[in-house]
Amino acid sequence: MEQALLAFSHGTGIFDFMHSPWGWPVAESLHFFGLSLLIGTVGVFDLRMLGLGSGIAYRHLHRLVPVGVLGYTINLVTGTMFLTSAPDQYLYNPAFQTKLGFMLLAGCNVFWFYTSCSTEVRTTSDSLPVSGRAKLIGTVSLLAWCAVIVCGRLITYYRPPYHWCFWC
Amino acid sequence: MVNSGPSASIPEASVLYLLATIEETGLSILLRESGVAFFSSLTLHSLAMAFVVGVNLAMAFSLLGLIPSLLNKRFEPFFTLHWWAVGLIFISGVALLIAYPAKALTNPVFFLKFMALSAGLLITRRLQHSVSGQTADPEPPLSGQLSNRIPTALAMLVCWVVTIGAGRFLAYTHSVLLASRYF
Repeated sequence: MEQALLAFSHGTGIFDFMHSPWGWPVAESLHFFGLSLLIGTVGVFDLRMLGLGSGIAYRHLHRLVPVGVLGYTINLVTGTMFLTSAPDQYLYNPAFQTKLGFMLLAGCNVFWFYTSCSTEVRTTSDSLPVSGRAKLIGTVSLLAWCAVIVCGRLITYYRPPYHWCFWC
Repeated sequence: MVNSGPSASIPEASVLYLLATIEETGLSILLRESGVAFFSSLTLHSLAMAFVVGVNLAMAFSLLGLIPSLLNKRFEPFFTLHWWAVGLIFISGVALLIAYPAKALTNPVFFLKFMALSAGLLITRRLQHSVSGQTADPEPPLSGQLSNRIPTALAMLVCWVVTIGAGRFLAYTHSVLLASRYF
């Protein structure tokens, strides 16, 4: 796995870029920018579903979701750049694995939203609260993304993780 | 990495002495050496920064016309939460600064981040002031009223991109990590 990721990184030029003087900080900056796009769009929409900013139209805030998808894509690309440039620092890192777990949870939550109550939320009157299920989805989304940030910060603390990780 | 080493720009001895004195205080040692204290400060700083930048980016996109009706009086609760997050950024930022004062205060990138952050927040305050001035309900969206909304949105985007970039580059561009190492 490690070798395959490294080969991909070398083959695509990612490795050389990431190990250039500016590569890592540029990728980190883009990664945080993508995360902020996500929080500013999906996070604001979640907070609105939880009752903050009563009167702001749900359907208007929902128009920000494509920007959130852009942020997620930026994070996916830069995250892949980190992973393939130093796979041993991530693959066996419990903080990284937990982060992926919360990203999966957030992804499933988005799927749940769009299959269960997306239309209902968008057609809800601006002054009315959304259903309990939509509020639960908003809560899970906010907590999952906060956990993703916390785990992202923890990655550095458990690097290198060879000596202590209980399940790697 | 971009760090050019200790020989790059070592400040005057008096400045280093002052920074070393701060580093040797009990609070600085606690913040630096207690894993929980430093990690908490760093994580809170990231969480609050992501929220503040995120809300500001949402406002910028609103000014650009992506969601025309976001900036009106109904957005006030988000401003309130935003300023609480700014408070958290300030507190966690001061904690990080006390932990490693020389790392930041001898690095021009820190001052660039500080200026970009301040400018970004000043624009936000101005926008909030415009929103607070509205009394009618339903209010016309602010994004439709501002004549200079595109330059304002672009200025916001620049400020927050620079803030994020400078914040990340801080970790890679310092020439002094601990001033006390020079004594």
